[in-house]
Amino acid sequence: MPALRGVDLAIGRGELVTVAGPSGSGKSTLLHLLGGLDEPDAGQVFVDGTDLATLGERERTLLRRRRLGFVFQTFNLVPVLSALENVEYPLLLDGRPAGERRKRAAEALAAVGLAARSGHRPDQLSGGERQRVAIARAVVHAPLALLADEPTGNLDSATAAGILDLLLALRRERGTTIVIATHDPALVARSPRRLVLRDGRIESDSAGERPR
Amino acid sequence: MSAFRLAWRNLGRNRRRTALSLAGVAAGTAALLLTAGFVVFSFRGLSEAMIHGGLGHLEVARAATVAASGATLERPLAAGLDDWRELQAAIEALPRVRAAAPTVHVAGMGSTPDGRTAAFLGLAVDPERERRMGFDLKLRGGHPLADAAPATGEDEILVATGLAETLGLVPGAPLTLLALDPDGMLNALDVRVAGIVTTGVQELDTRYLKLHLATAARLLASESVSNLVVTLDATRDTEAARQEIAALVAGHEPALAVTGWRERAPFYGQVRNLYAGIFWFLGAIVFVLVVLSTSNTLTMAVLERVRELGTLRAIGASAGQLARLVLAEALWLALFGALLGGGVAALLIALLNALHLQMPPPPGAVNPIDLRLAWVPEAFAGAVLLMLAVLSLAAIPPLVRVARLRIVEALTHR
Repeated sequence: MPALRGVDLAIGRGELVTVAGPSGSGKSTLLHLLGGLDEPDAGQVFVDGTDLATLGERERTLLRRRRLGFVFQTFNLVPVLSALENVEYPLLLDGRPAGERRKRAAEALAAVGLAARSGHRPDQLSGGERQRVAIARAVVHAPLALLADEPTGNLDSATAAGILDLLLALRRERGTTIVIATHDPALVARSPRRLVLRDGRIESDSAGERPR
Repeated sequence: MSAFRLAWRNLGRNRRRTALSLAGVAAGTAALLLTAGFVVFSFRGLSEAMIHGGLGHLEVARAATVAASGATLERPLAAGLDDWRELQAAIEALPRVRAAAPTVHVAGMGSTPDGRTAAFLGLAVDPERERRMGFDLKLRGGHPLADAAPATGEDEILVATGLAETLGLVPGAPLTLLALDPDGMLNALDVRVAGIVTTGVQELDTRYLKLHLATAARLLASESVSNLVVTLDATRDTEAARQEIAALVAGHEPALAVTGWRERAPFYGQVRNLYAGIFWFLGAIVFVLVVLSTSNTLTMAVLERVRELGTLRAIGASAGQLARLVLAEALWLALFGALLGGGVAALLIALLNALHLQMPPPPGAVNPIDLRLAWVPEAFAGAVLLMLAVLSLAAIPPLVRVARLRIVEALTHR
């Protein structure tokens, strides 16, 4: 059975969209397709006007490295790296000079309020702090869009609210497009645009669009 | 944070597994270095034993004799050196040369007054020069030959243990030597046994005797010698000295040949080839064992980090960048394992050498040999390079897994 069926969706630059729905409804699959992590059996995915199907493996890797940012439910930080080094890592992959990497990573950490924790490793940080580091890692290269899969799923409600505040601020200050797959009703409630998936189809879209 | 720095930190994640991997690499390296140490020491010991057992570093002899693979022992001086004293003086004037000693090879029969007879292989020498050249004399009884030429009727010989037993000889016993002179005439000479010696080679001991040059001259009715045996201050100078002496004797009539000790000792080459074969066989076993053990641990290290590797791919790492990371971990293990193995080997070499252990005599030899190991810097450098190659090979299975990693599956891997 296809994970997504008949999904026709456009997300504008600078939008913040939450994708809600029960487990197995296709939220993560949608994010994977948007992020070029997976390929659709049928249909097309465009990112900034580029059909991802026309990109080879190397181009998709560069797209993820330079134009997209990812945040995961379980943070997925590299445990042997400090907070600053984790944030720096995407820039290292892109071959940026050490000075530039350090400066931008420090700025990104400061933007998520963790300048004082830059030398700490993930196991020395709280869950909320780890997710902030993950967000800093996702935006350090100023991506076009940030894709977050259950970013508050492992956090208490107060911390989750703080993370949403941070994402809203990033969107406001940097104009980053943000797509969040979530089960969290509080997060959905504060989202400017709310999408609900069920059985692989878009059940509702607060922007007024409807599935075809 | 380069791939090497991150790889270095990754090794600290599972210290027990890293320690096991390092132990495997270190054990393999140490085994190779100990074997190389034993082999090289054996080579050095064997070559020096042969050189200082009477072979010398170089031999100067008639080219025709060398081409015929040695003197005709029945008529030993038919192709000998007549002007050897001038040649000896000229060669000993060269800077690297310690001494040039004349020798005469002679074969014949020895008879005792009570009628016992045995064939012998004799070597006539200048005792004073032999001593100066550092040649070993393994005396088992009696006294060595006098330096000065013996007076007529007072000729003495040294007899090897086996020949002495066959003829029932003890120090002071009389013996008559029979040999052909250069013209084919049979000569006889009465001598006394000065001492009993061993050559260190069981078979040779049944035939060997040693006599003074002056005694050989009386027996063979000739002042010629078979060759000049040259020893040098250092074995490593052999080739340079060979060229210098060859230049010195070029144009000599009759033509002379200068031969190095290796060419005169095919046994050494055979032993070297045998040991080298053993060494490479052991190396192959170590290679396979280290590949198998480390490949498993490297693969485990990748399997435990599937989700993390998937995350890195998601945020923009290429498969090649992840492969470099895994390879860097393997190379760190190789480098530190080899260094650790080198340290262990150095300690074991020092310990074993301090214990002065003895090994049984090799086949055909008489005396036990010391177990000694050499530290071989070239072998250490080779072992480090070998381990880098071995671990690179061992990294192939985990590298294949990384190359085949599907990001979406990796992100949900538990």
